Amino acid sequence: MDYVYHVLVMVCLYAILAISFNVVIGLAGLFALSHAAFYAIGAYTTAILTTQYGVPVLPALVCGIVLTGVIGAIAALPALRIGGHYLVVVTLALQIIVIDVLRNAQGLTGGPDGISGIPRLTLFGQTLSTPGSFLVLAAAVAAFVYLITHMLAFSPFGRALRAMREDELAAQSIGKNVVALKLIAFAFSAASAAIAGSLLAHYITFVSPQSFSIDETILVLAMIILGGTGNLFGAAAGAAILVALPELLKLMALPVGTADLLRNAFYGLMLILILRFRPEGIFPERYRYRLPESAKRAAGVLEVDAWTRPVRGEVTLAGNDLHKNFGGIVAANGVDLELRSGIVTGLIGPNGAGKTTAFNLLTGFLTPTAGRVSMRGLPLADRRPHRIVRSSIARSFQDLRLFKRMTVLENVLTAFPDQLGDRLWNVFLRPFAVRAQDHANMARALEVLDFVGLRDRAEQSADNLSYAEEKLLVIARLLATDAEVLLLDEPLSGLDPTTLDQVLPIVRRLAEQGRTICLIEHNLDVIREVCDVTAYLDGGKVLAFGKPEELMRDPKLVERYIQ
Amino acid sequence: MDLILQLLANGVSNGSQYALLGIGFGLIFGTTGIVHFAYGPVLAASAYVMWWLAASLGLPFPVALVLGVAFAGIAGVVAYLVLYEPLLARGSPSFVVLVASLGLFILVSNMMAVLFGTDAKTLSDISYGIYVLGDVVITGVQLVQIAVFVIIAVGLAIFLRTSAWGNAIRAVTDNVAMARIIGIDTRKVAIVVFALGSMISAIGAANILVRDGASTHIGFFAVFYAFISVVVGGVGSVWGAAIGGLLLGLVESAGMWKLPTEWQSTIAFMVLFVVMLWRPTGLLRGN
Repeated sequence: MDYVYHVLVMVCLYAILAISFNVVIGLAGLFALSHAAFYAIGAYTTAILTTQYGVPVLPALVCGIVLTGVIGAIAALPALRIGGHYLVVVTLALQIIVIDVLRNAQGLTGGPDGISGIPRLTLFGQTLSTPGSFLVLAAAVAAFVYLITHMLAFSPFGRALRAMREDELAAQSIGKNVVALKLIAFAFSAASAAIAGSLLAHYITFVSPQSFSIDETILVLAMIILGGTGNLFGAAAGAAILVALPELLKLMALPVGTADLLRNAFYGLMLILILRFRPEGIFPERYRYRLPESAKRAAGVLEVDAWTRPVRGEVTLAGNDLHKNFGGIVAANGVDLELRSGIVTGLIGPNGAGKTTAFNLLTGFLTPTAGRVSMRGLPLADRRPHRIVRSSIARSFQDLRLFKRMTVLENVLTAFPDQLGDRLWNVFLRPFAVRAQDHANMARALEVLDFVGLRDRAEQSADNLSYAEEKLLVIARLLATDAEVLLLDEPLSGLDPTTLDQVLPIVRRLAEQGRTICLIEHNLDVIREVCDVTAYLDGGKVLAFGKPEELMRDPKLVERYIQ
Repeated sequence: MDLILQLLANGVSNGSQYALLGIGFGLIFGTTGIVHFAYGPVLAASAYVMWWLAASLGLPFPVALVLGVAFAGIAGVVAYLVLYEPLLARGSPSFVVLVASLGLFILVSNMMAVLFGTDAKTLSDISYGIYVLGDVVITGVQLVQIAVFVIIAVGLAIFLRTSAWGNAIRAVTDNVAMARIIGIDTRKVAIVVFALGSMISAIGAANILVRDGASTHIGFFAVFYAFISVVVGGVGSVWGAAIGGLLLGLVESAGMWKLPTEWQSTIAFMVLFVVMLWRPTGLLRGN
């Protein structure tokens, strides 16, 4: 029976590892390969503090968690600047460094022989010396980790992580600080792995570098892929399957070494087969959860007109003499653009004229080589894209950049500013306030969707929308930021006349409220219908500025533009 | 001073080996965007093949080398056609391809350990000279490592610059979509780079076989150093990988001046970490 309990204890430990690794891999979409290193740091911190310094169990555990969390955040630093494959190699390097240190810093870590004699845990006066008694604790801790990770995953913070995974630029454009998100995701994941490491140390009473090799990371990865990336229950199930299944190898009379090798080979084969035939895993990510009825009931009609700026025609966002060079290519060559409240400004010009570049310069996605961006005459203090949204300036993208593997409602919900649950400590310390606000936001999101005509699509996945609906959702997401200045990059192109008739009044109405609107558009009929003033861009600067009719009467422009 | 010269010599020779591995890996990674982790096991398998042909069948080493290189080329192409291509054809994200390559990596590595055992397989009848220049001692293998790297790097650079295939490979490296539009068969280009890259890895495998013998873990360190060389130097050019590899070898060697040898790889990875923070797209260029 002890054997079965032992297997179950290992299932619990691996479930903790798989669930926590899934935060980085599945939710944040950051591909790191250093999970076994964090597992090791947790285990060794416990081992060193309890055996060499006589630190009691609990403070040792806390030290392990904090230390691993900090190292996890440091490991994420390179990921802040560049993602993808570079993160893979950096985290792989971290994994190797940690194992090297464990092997080589003999005085501290015992070298290749490891550390033995780690004290067993006692709970309610009873020493947990048998697998059966330890199982109770391991299961309780695994359940606890599952619970807090679940809270994270289904909180506004978790939603922001998934938005970042789906599209980092779009997440920034609605005010998410992706740097902070990455650091916290890494730290949280690493700290949870440290809990598993600490448990392992007390359970086996011995730690050695062999238990934390890169193969362990790949094994945990296999558990996630098998169970379902982004699905916490799947990760736990994957852990159970991949710990229990290879035990069958023990039924065959194989030499111990060979059995281990075959087990690892089996993990590899399984990874390949799963990715080939069921890449979403046994339990695909569950994001199409039901909307609470209370939110549906609370949703009324969007009170667009409640938001009104008294002053019209006042200069809000302005760019002065903006220059941008990419190597030898001049993308902006002295753009001067003043946007005014209550006015729809159209931006026209041939392809490559610098229209999108102008948007990028105004919203902090590009830093100008020279020139100034100001809001109501004041220079923008913090020009990082996610901060610029807080200055009430929001932009959309020509290539839409919706959060595809999220619901239509979530796309809007994520964009609301100042959500309590954007901060992880609120998620844990003020769960009810976060939940109440989130439900209120859901009702508001429904109102926004209703306003653009997508309410009946709310619970569907954003990648099921038609092109016209996607464009409407882009506008809805932009509206949710509650920004005063809205920069829309080709919001109308490719729309059929029916949808156009639906969208144009929305744009006009937003302007009538006093918002500042600027849109890039190619269709001159549309420009004439919706824009109050038009700027003609070519060669990286504004060549003409005026009422649409005036511009279109200018024969030189007409010739340049229409040909 | 003598120590410094000795460390320099060691650094250049180790760096040449890393650079050689980096060129092969970088050719595949830069062109196809696939992080081919199974590059390591393919390299290890070709070392075993050479060992088996030379030690068990008694073939002369040059013959074993040629056959081993051919084996690696075929194995690389098979990995592409059987594993990566179906995934790419389905439009899988790069994350999926990367995990699949990790799966192939541990599948092949462990199966090799089952088949060949975990002890090192060495060639007993290969001997190489040891040369003393002043106070610097350098072995024949070290000299061969440097020479082989220079020959292959220059040869590959000329091939990429002058041949039709080379032009196609450079076009795909630069912009896949555009290459496709102008009628380049990207599938064939992928097959060619997998073959070439894997064959280059087999030459690195021969160096390792002669120097230390073949064992199952050589694959991991090979692909890992290759990956780091490419990332440190900059993806997408032969010279990037070459500079990255040489720098890695030199810095590691310089570290030996003050630190014991077991910290060698830790030093290399710290270099990587610093370069990534300071110049995330690599020293030479990056796309």
